[in-house]
Amino acid sequence: MDITFLLTILVTFLASFIGYELISKIPQTLHTPLMSGSNAISGITLIAAILIYPEVGESQLLKIIVLIAIAFATLNIVGGFSVTGRILEMFKRND
Amino acid sequence: MIEIILLFSSVLFIFALKLFGRPSTAHRANSFAMLAMALAVFSAFNFDFSKYDPAFYITIVVSGFFGVLISKRVQMTQMPELVGLFNGFGGGASGAIAYVELSNNSLVMSDFFVAIFSMVIGVFTFSGSIVAVLKLRGKLNNVNTTIANIFSAFLPPLILLPTIWKEMEILTLEYFMLLALIAGIIRVAVIGGADMPVVIAFLNSLSGIAAMSAGFIVNSIILIIAGALVGASGIILTLLMCAAMNRTLIDVLKGGFGGTAINNEYDKDPISTSPEDVAIQLSYAESVVIVPGYGMAVAQAQAAVKELTNTLKDKNIEVKFAIHPVAGRMPGHMNVLLAEVDIDYEDMFTLEDINSEFSSTDVVIVLGANDVVNPLARTDEDSPIYGMPILDVDLAKQVIVIKRSMSPGYAGIANPLFVNDNAKMLFADAKEGLENIIKSFELV
Repeated sequence: MDITFLLTILVTFLASFIGYELISKIPQTLHTPLMSGSNAISGITLIAAILIYPEVGESQLLKIIVLIAIAFATLNIVGGFSVTGRILEMFKRND
Repeated sequence: MIEIILLFSSVLFIFALKLFGRPSTAHRANSFAMLAMALAVFSAFNFDFSKYDPAFYITIVVSGFFGVLISKRVQMTQMPELVGLFNGFGGGASGAIAYVELSNNSLVMSDFFVAIFSMVIGVFTFSGSIVAVLKLRGKLNNVNTTIANIFSAFLPPLILLPTIWKEMEILTLEYFMLLALIAGIIRVAVIGGADMPVVIAFLNSLSGIAAMSAGFIVNSIILIIAGALVGASGIILTLLMCAAMNRTLIDVLKGGFGGTAINNEYDKDPISTSPEDVAIQLSYAESVVIVPGYGMAVAQAQAAVKELTNTLKDKNIEVKFAIHPVAGRMPGHMNVLLAEVDIDYEDMFTLEDINSEFSSTDVVIVLGANDVVNPLARTDEDSPIYGMPILDVDLAKQVIVIKRSMSPGYAGIANPLFVNDNAKMLFADAKEGLENIIKSFELV
């Protein structure tokens, strides 16, 4: 068994664990911005699109599909962070 | 160099989650996460920006522009739809990437299965989210569960079908994609509106899991870490929402719950009240608790809630908000609507924090909430909501329910609270009812 593969599994496990621990502590009041924020983070799949785009080759169809993925992911990232910022601003001014 | 940037980015993501734990630091969390994302995306280019053609950059700029536009224009009452839509985009993007990798490369066996998994989850998330958005917008009614049951029963043979045409190996990917697409549509179509908090949280988790598995295909650790964080966040919220309804995730996903009246008989007539009487009653109170529900969002009554809160606070009456975890259509929906009109988050209380206080509360105003304040959840073992944690508003000295009619809530059952001796009904839409109370205050 490949050691990098095992390390990757370990990282996955640790990230899930840290995520679980930290997110469990987030109060109910912030659950909506948490969701829109994690929406934005799930747009990180843009990285995969960036990595495979130059390797798609000649197929126009596959190229278009990657471009769709890029559009979706970018919308997620930009829109998600922007709307989360808007929501958190409403919570901030109460301080 | 790239590795150091990525390491920094991963640490930033985790720090961002840590900062998210308190309302006062949460806005900084967003900036941290944005920086982490920018670094991660930048590093994916590996300092070689010439590999990409204009179509690539144009797509990024145009969709980024639309992202900003949407986020600036969306109203806070539409947040469930927006989050639903973004879940779909995230899942769709990961699904599309997995499809391209599957059709373009000869992947090693383990990567092949991860890619199939990523594609199926991504496409399922995409179609399920689109249906969820249509439901939230009221464009789609509940679908009969029989169709879903038939589909589920035929799913195993449908999945195994390609083994028969294995020799040809044509369109197998497209076939699985289609199956996932249909599964997403059917699964969400049978789930009713008030179960949407669970559905949205669950799809949120799936979009993270799809991204995480895409990370395995392209060997990107940061993608795996960020995807796992989103997956964990979605799972936590899903389980919290299920616990708040005393139902299992499987039970919610099976669908068919609620939406139809099972029993809406009352053995006595409710006591109807007027805005003037409510205003008088409130002015004699020392403590008031407001329980908002989906009805507040539908009626866009947040501003009126704020005005009433100000009026009461000016009279030195204590005002608190009791928010049930599944009130509204997504986790935290009510909190955001109240924060939008400048209500202090210190005044918003969770079920655990406020339930012991109801017995010493003078007046409770139930605003467009129903099942979450139904005492049958405590007393009637045969009730479909039995065992669900509810806000014990019936223990307060006086309860005022602002509601248009005696119609049942999502669970389709009568709410004995409405005919309780300490309860009065103000038959009105949430916004109109509150505005009339505020007007009456000026006369008192």
